[in-house]
Amino acid sequence: MTNTTNMRHYQGNPQKNSPALGATLAYLGVNGLLALLHGSQGCSSFIRLQLSRHYKEPIPLNSTALLEDSVIFGGWEHLKKGIAVAADKYKPQIIGVMSTGLTETFGDDMVSALTSLHQERPDLVDLPVVLANTPDYIGSMQEGYQRTVEALLTTLAGHSIKASVQLSEEAPSIALLPGCHLTPGDVDELKEIVADFGFKPITIPDLSISLDGHAELEAAPVVQGGTLLEDFQRLPKCSACLSFGLSMEKAGEILKKTHQIPHFNFPSLTGLKATDAFILTLAKISGKAVPEKLLRQRSRLLDTLADYHDQLGGLKIAIALEMDLLYSLASCLVEVGSEISVALAASQGGIHQLSLPIPIEVGDLEELEERAGQSTLIIANSNGRQAAGLLKLPHLRAGLPVFDRVGYPQKRWIGYEGTQQFLFDTLNSVS
Amino acid sequence: MFTNLTKLDLLDKKCMSDAGSPKLCMKALPGEGAERSCAYDGARVVLMPITDVAHLVHGPIACAGNSWDNRGARSSGSQLFRRGLTTDIMENDVVYGGETKLKESILEIALRHTPKAIFVYATCVSSVIGDDVNKVCEEAEKELTIPVIPVNCPGFLGDKNIGNRIAGEVLFDRVIGTAEGSDEKIPLSINLIGEYNIAGDIWGVIPDLQNLGITLLTAITGDAKFEDLRSAHRASLNVLICSKSLTNLVRKMEIKYGIPFMEGSFYGIHDTSETLINIAKALKDPDLLERTLVYVQKREDETRKTIAGYKALLENKQAILFTGGVKTWSMVSTLAELGINILAGGTQNSTPEDFQRMKELMDPSAQIIEDTSSAGFLKIIAEKKPDLIVAGGKTKYLAHKTRTPFLDINHGRKLPYAGYQGMIQFAETLTRTVLSPVWGLLKQDFPPKEDEQA
Repeated sequence: MTNTTNMRHYQGNPQKNSPALGATLAYLGVNGLLALLHGSQGCSSFIRLQLSRHYKEPIPLNSTALLEDSVIFGGWEHLKKGIAVAADKYKPQIIGVMSTGLTETFGDDMVSALTSLHQERPDLVDLPVVLANTPDYIGSMQEGYQRTVEALLTTLAGHSIKASVQLSEEAPSIALLPGCHLTPGDVDELKEIVADFGFKPITIPDLSISLDGHAELEAAPVVQGGTLLEDFQRLPKCSACLSFGLSMEKAGEILKKTHQIPHFNFPSLTGLKATDAFILTLAKISGKAVPEKLLRQRSRLLDTLADYHDQLGGLKIAIALEMDLLYSLASCLVEVGSEISVALAASQGGIHQLSLPIPIEVGDLEELEERAGQSTLIIANSNGRQAAGLLKLPHLRAGLPVFDRVGYPQKRWIGYEGTQQFLFDTLNSVS
Repeated sequence: MFTNLTKLDLLDKKCMSDAGSPKLCMKALPGEGAERSCAYDGARVVLMPITDVAHLVHGPIACAGNSWDNRGARSSGSQLFRRGLTTDIMENDVVYGGETKLKESILEIALRHTPKAIFVYATCVSSVIGDDVNKVCEEAEKELTIPVIPVNCPGFLGDKNIGNRIAGEVLFDRVIGTAEGSDEKIPLSINLIGEYNIAGDIWGVIPDLQNLGITLLTAITGDAKFEDLRSAHRASLNVLICSKSLTNLVRKMEIKYGIPFMEGSFYGIHDTSETLINIAKALKDPDLLERTLVYVQKREDETRKTIAGYKALLENKQAILFTGGVKTWSMVSTLAELGINILAGGTQNSTPEDFQRMKELMDPSAQIIEDTSSAGFLKIIAEKKPDLIVAGGKTKYLAHKTRTPFLDINHGRKLPYAGYQGMIQFAETLTRTVLSPVWGLLKQDFPPKEDEQA
């Protein structure tokens, strides 16, 4: 069921971000990568501003700076020139290109542009260039991020690397593919949990060491921190691949097919049952017992559920988020007895596979404003502030952008401890 | 359907070729990392502060979705301008065209939000798929009782300055002078052109204007109401505030409505006083001029007395200044007022004249920042090791990595810095930034080097 009530032709207070923004986010988790947006200059400027006010970090994002002539003659030459100039000037280890509505509309073939560039500049053949197709008019941040992670894996961890890897691992490696619903703090937590089972995680992309807001950063227009290029080459050796968020399932399947690694997808990591499923899988593939630390955290979560069951049961929540995050938070709230009154996803992705007690619909924040009146709490990104203000409802910030509350990128809302924190934050926002 | 760029009066004078001068007449190169913006962004910066109208962006989500309600322009009344409205062009629209969707959207928004007018922004994708925004707006207008105004500003036309100018043309052609009733000039009245009421800047200036008996008809477009803009042609004087991106507008208003214009700035004590005196002179009222001279002296004395404590703390600090528009030069004297020396200065998005004026005001020893990319900016910081950086928000988080005090003076800020009142706020905020104990903590080695441990 989608869009049943909203017959409007326009988006009012959109919660969507552009797919190219999602692409930027994925690229920002890869070390030494220079992200190059194939579009006009505003596209990259708005993305930098949006991500910067969310993460409070500088956002390195270059652009092919298309102008009127490229609209007439195509952006091919601009793309070739952009890659060459960026490669010469900034010496990145990888260049990550994402397309935009403009270039997809006039149909720039990025693959053949790259081939043509390689003929003119044979010295650039060895520089890995990832090409992600992210037209602005298909999907939201989640789709752009998803397509870009898939492009990263296909380009940097394809069949060709298989034989070349000879690494003696002291600990078995495990591949983690976090979706864009996880904050750098969440990814950090994820890596810790996996390490507790004796695994060495390879995380793609790894925002927990690039966008985690640390003070050591050089003046460079390439990504610092994040997944190493060598890490991609170690993927075939991983004993399993775990993907998080339904949008990451396809990326996990790519790894499974290419390198015959078992793959497990976890649509959510928030909530008791969701975390149990994850922990039990880890115990099974590692052959180890669940560590005492995690059992203790689980026990604390159970106690919290008992202590606050009544308050949680009284909540009536209107939620508008990107699909994977919406499902993670809403299913956790349903699990503890809260009612979801409205569930609006930013885009179609996953909407038919995931379910809540009420239908999940695609909608904007104006629709949230029109339908959340009888609720006790709104969960949405910071742009939900207009709806919350008009309805005089408390507003728990989640998703992207969150620019008017401090510390969101560092928040951990996954695992037993994170679930407990999420419930605390939810309850504190209505008290 | 596009604005004819050759008619846009892009340059106020011939392009200056000095190193570091803003590249108004140069295209950005692909891959060079110039970090500039587009014509659509320029148009929205100028028009979106109009508070009681709807701003509908006819484009895919990238144009409005990433940017709505993200500037600090403030309103004393309607909040409608903050609503993010877009046709959200999808794949089907790219194939079949988006004109029907656009028209339906306009009609629905008129009904749902009862705006005083609707501005419709064309974007790259809507232009490439050939949607005739002008025609759709005309058709919709016939069915409604409000103006529906197309703004043809696809991003690929160029950078922000071009968008600013397109917005100026739209205001001139479709808004200013369309009010019913008298066209007579209102004595001692002015418009502030290019003042966007960021963080409530205007509200720090209005009391001084009122005390002098000067009527502010409207700002163009900070905290502006549509009706007030329609009557903007009744002003006796146009005061051009932010950059000269709207020079085309004031020139045309001078020719058509006989409104003279002058440039001014309300940043800093010196520039605020000078601007008020120049306004009084331009309004040609000897009594007003006399009042103003006495008034600004009094306000200057009061303000200087209030900021004396801050000045003592900031005196002889070394700064790097990097901004755009009128602030390029106005901030030079503002910092000088506090006894701060400028080690290096640079600009983006301002005119060659603004740049020249900054250069003249700065000490000859100050360096001009030539490479205006993030990398170039950081290189200067590393070389000069300033005590503080005063710049726009987009460099803020990068500058923090250099562990240097940083003050955001552009649209992301929360506090008003205009007028005498704003100068006090500016001095206070800057002092708090520069003297914050955190910079000392950030610069401590950890673990301490061995020789320091003893």
